[in-house]
Amino acid sequence: MSKSDVILKIYTILLLGIIYVPIGVLIVFSFNNSRNRAVFTGFTLENYYRLLADERVWSSFYNSIWVAIVVTIASVFFAILLSYAVTRYDFKGKDILDMLLLIPIIIPEIVEALTLLLFFIIIGIPLSPWTIIIGHIAFDISFAYLVIKARMAGYDPQYEEAARTLGADELKTFFRVTLPILLPGIIAASLIAFVESYDDFIKSYFTRPGGFSTLPVHIWSMASRRGVTVDLNALATIVVIIAIFFAYIRIKMERWM
Amino acid sequence: MIKYSVELENITKRFGQVVAVNNVSLRIKENEFFSLLGPSGCGKTTTLRIIAGLEKPDTGVVKLHGQDVTYIPTHKRNIGMVFQHLALFPHMDVYENIAFGLRMRGFSDNDISRRVKRMLEVVRLPGFERRKINQLSGGQQQRVALARALVMEPEVLLLDEPLGALDLKIRQEMMVELKRIQREVGTTFVYVTHDQNEAMVMSDRIAVMNEGVIQQVDSPDTIYMRPKNIFVASFIGEQINFIEGVYKGNQEFEAKGGMVLRVSDNPDAINKKSVIAIRPERIMIGDKAPPRGMNSVEGRVEMMVFKGSSIEYRISANISDEIIVFVPNISPTMKMYKIGEKVYLTWDPEAGIVLPFESKPAEPRKIG
Repeated sequence: MSKSDVILKIYTILLLGIIYVPIGVLIVFSFNNSRNRAVFTGFTLENYYRLLADERVWSSFYNSIWVAIVVTIASVFFAILLSYAVTRYDFKGKDILDMLLLIPIIIPEIVEALTLLLFFIIIGIPLSPWTIIIGHIAFDISFAYLVIKARMAGYDPQYEEAARTLGADELKTFFRVTLPILLPGIIAASLIAFVESYDDFIKSYFTRPGGFSTLPVHIWSMASRRGVTVDLNALATIVVIIAIFFAYIRIKMERWM
Repeated sequence: MIKYSVELENITKRFGQVVAVNNVSLRIKENEFFSLLGPSGCGKTTTLRIIAGLEKPDTGVVKLHGQDVTYIPTHKRNIGMVFQHLALFPHMDVYENIAFGLRMRGFSDNDISRRVKRMLEVVRLPGFERRKINQLSGGQQQRVALARALVMEPEVLLLDEPLGALDLKIRQEMMVELKRIQREVGTTFVYVTHDQNEAMVMSDRIAVMNEGVIQQVDSPDTIYMRPKNIFVASFIGEQINFIEGVYKGNQEFEAKGGMVLRVSDNPDAINKKSVIAIRPERIMIGDKAPPRGMNSVEGRVEMMVFKGSSIEYRISANISDEIIVFVPNISPTMKMYKIGEKVYLTWDPEAGIVLPFESKPAEPRKIG
């Protein structure tokens, strides 16, 4: 092994270590049977029992899920229409539309969150779960659009023409051919949109009404009130495991896409 | 009475300023293997798509089996189509691809299974039902696309350059297969291609198209031996010689410089500026002047290329700067002429075809 290979190997291990060691430590200490955050004194599931008995954890988890579902459906729906327009038709301002749809990905979220909050205040919309949803949709469309557009660009309109020559009308063509071929892209976009909304903190925190928490917001309030406790370790572990589960589905999906 | 599968009457189609199909009329007979041949952009694919109903003509009438279908949508026309990129459904296996059309028309499961099985035998892919499309080779995908289109027993099968993506060997194999399948199922095939070899090998008749206009409709041998104009003469075949002059009638053609050549008759061209077209393989070469009364052109060898099965000469003469001659390689002792040598060319009168002169002959775009 040459010197540069060794350096590359060490570099890679360090990089992955920086990403995953803290998560590993977090997970390990979620099973610690003492409140000590530095020494592992023994295995217990006590932290999880306590957590699952906490009603506010359940309600914020429930809020996160239903908000993410609404956001996913809406963003993917709009993203399909937008991708269809951009990949199938030529119209004025197409390039600008394409650019405008991708900008939200690079705008700092704190800026988006602040402007959204100011916007709601100026036009007099009271904060509610729906203001969170609007905020999430505003940038989830971009992620969903990016994935679906890539899938549609590789889609040959000849599939539809082939279906027509085989006796399928427009409706049957759409449901039997167009939709199934685009489905892997739509599912992938849905997973990304769901996770982006589910683990969003900044926008949810700024645009939420009083007394309404999503899971990330609840974790933040727990941490700011009582400091980082083992309960928090357990909760964060659950959040991470759900996110990894979605990432896993997405990778599996790519295999058969 | 001859039955026609497809009739096009005065079809015109414009895309913006471009006239893609210009007043095309065609009659394709039942069970005919008919090719639309021409360079890319000549309107052949648009013509095919108009037959399929995937494009609406601006003017004209489309008839399938005598019935006017000009305003009938594609899915209600009894046609099958094989696309350039095949367009096999990637989310279905071979069986479901072939069964698609039958399902759309509400056949029973038993019927579907029986027909798919039979079709797979016709295209020689028995047992391939559950294969995925991306597990098939190019030639196999080709056969599935054919099976999918033919399982409906359409009145007409339309094929849009289906062999373009295949490599030479599989293409040649598929040409033979297409012809066999056409005979076996007894369906009219309308085949679009820019490859004259494909058209020549498979077709009963060929329509040569250029710039949206049909140039000639004839059998392959007639197209090759009796082209109707300069475009067809130069587009078909490997090479052809053109000699300018005036047709005097009585099979006599006065070339530039006053030399009179014996040619085949063309009453329409009498006393008009014309061109004679002669295939290189129809010209004979010798070192002595041919007997009196035969065409005799004295020339000088400018180039000689040994091509294996034949020898190609380029001869300069007073009637033309360059006359191409192919001499078949029939004997190891045959005489080969060297560059600079004086030779005599001769040909049968009927080998010289008199064509109308065109001030700016369309440059044929040869592909493949």
